[in-house]
Amino acid sequence: MGSKTVDKALTMLRTLPRVSLKNIRDNPGSKMTQKRGRGQHGGDYHGAGNKGSGQRQNYMRLGYETGNRPFYLRFGFEPYYERHHLRRQYPPVSLLQLQTMVDTDRIDISKPIDLTTICNTGLYRIFPDQHQFGINLTDEGADTFQAKVNIEVQWASELVVAAVERAGGVITTAYYDMHSLQCMINPTKFFERGIPIPRRMIPPTDAAEYYADPSKRGYLADPEKVSEERLVLSQKYGYNLPVIEKDPDYEMLTERKDPRQIFFGLNPGWVVNLKDKVILKPLDEELLQYYNS
Amino acid sequence: MLSNILPRLRSYSNYLKQFSTVVTTDGDTKIEPRILQYPPKYQKPRQVWLENLDTIDEKKLSLLDLHPNIFAVNPRIDVIHQNVRWQSLYRYVSYAHTKVRSEVRGGGRKPWPQKGLFCRARHGSIRSPLFKGGGVIHGPRSPTPHFYMLPFHTRILGLTSTLSIKLSQDDLHVVNDLEIPTDEPQFIEELVKSRNWGPSVLFINEVDIMPRNITVATDLIKHFNLMPVYGLNVYSMLKHDTLVLTRTAVDVIESKLLTHLHRTNTFNVMKKYKVDQV
Repeated sequence: MGSKTVDKALTMLRTLPRVSLKNIRDNPGSKMTQKRGRGQHGGDYHGAGNKGSGQRQNYMRLGYETGNRPFYLRFGFEPYYERHHLRRQYPPVSLLQLQTMVDTDRIDISKPIDLTTICNTGLYRIFPDQHQFGINLTDEGADTFQAKVNIEVQWASELVVAAVERAGGVITTAYYDMHSLQCMINPTKFFERGIPIPRRMIPPTDAAEYYADPSKRGYLADPEKVSEERLVLSQKYGYNLPVIEKDPDYEMLTERKDPRQIFFGLNPGWVVNLKDKVILKPLDEELLQYYNS
Repeated sequence: MLSNILPRLRSYSNYLKQFSTVVTTDGDTKIEPRILQYPPKYQKPRQVWLENLDTIDEKKLSLLDLHPNIFAVNPRIDVIHQNVRWQSLYRYVSYAHTKVRSEVRGGGRKPWPQKGLFCRARHGSIRSPLFKGGGVIHGPRSPTPHFYMLPFHTRILGLTSTLSIKLSQDDLHVVNDLEIPTDEPQFIEELVKSRNWGPSVLFINEVDIMPRNITVATDLIKHFNLMPVYGLNVYSMLKHDTLVLTRTAVDVIESKLLTHLHRTNTFNVMKKYKVDQV
């Protein structure tokens, strides 16, 4: 929009006849018209050929090679992708995309960023029922990443961690189970159901190692060891580690969720009533014990 | 020498006045300029005269800014055509109907024996599609709905394209309101004729309760139509030669279309109409 062609077209229209129902048309060639030849030899067999499978649609079964041992049976079974349908998937977001979201005001970096923030931009979708377990922050645009963020993702490589920390930010990798993810991707829809916010489950055994690893910035790792690893990584990649203790946004940068918490500022067991704009908290001892465990 | 020229210049300026535009404003009513939402960065706003409707002779009240993303977009004739086609097809149901061989009356008996008759082809029913008066194959079956949904942004672009075309062809007029002094049809007919509008005119109001006088005056004139702003559509705009919007209607149209052009949650707008979804 706004190009010179538009102005030119609109200027031309001033002297052209009035655009009305009788002089509009689609672009020539934009619609394929159905062609079926008629007449004596117009379309003798209409593309089906003479006799055989073409005419009778009794095609050979898929993969059959008219007597050869078929390709799909020629080699032994090599299960490279065994259980792939059960593996956890992490749809990617690159650092470049994240930086663009920040620059175009889709994300407010004065607050901690988590999966909900990214989903709210409308540019990222995940489907927890298809075994997608959150964001994989990838390293495209690592050289130009400059936003100082407190971000929580579900998977990140070493280079990505280095890029975020070089810019003065903080990154955490955190696990969310399927039900927690379902609440996070559309909080309004979840709150409208009127059920209490569930507890976040602890990671399964095969993911526990990753999320307890300080070098992966896991949310279950010891904070002391994480700060040690931050220094180690800065020396490995050769940048000066910004001191977040002296940062004016220190409080924002050190804000973390509880391992059982799904939303910032909301605890498990609470019910958010959007209509009356109130939050209902459990008082019963048994409930409190259940949600705090 | 200057004293010689000045009176002559003054007479020229009087002479020129009838060819120039005169803005008429009543003493006490001051017309607020429009403030554009999402101010355009790279394009100048388009401008349109605010006119009156209470006298036959046109009074220009002020100049209004219009958002270029709504009123100066690429005039896509093809998109407009797609919109018009969709508008006429989505509610069209074809009731053309033909009978197949089982529905045609009769034809239960085998017309003649299978074998033994010289020069007679084998037949099982006189209502077979080969027979005169027999069933029809691949004929139209009733009811056949032609509903489909045009993509959301094509619908938006259709509206903005049509508005841009109407503005660039001087077929779009903005009036302060739809109040006319009398309910006689002659007044509005004369007004339209003297201002070179029409012959067919579409008046768009911001609410669906129209002023009484214009409703009565245009009631029997079939080519003057009134429409609330939520009914604005590509087909009606093209069907009428001139489009007359009230100032508030312009505000509503602009804000609605700009909201849609700047919305981020576009996943959900076409979700309802997706076909072949699991």
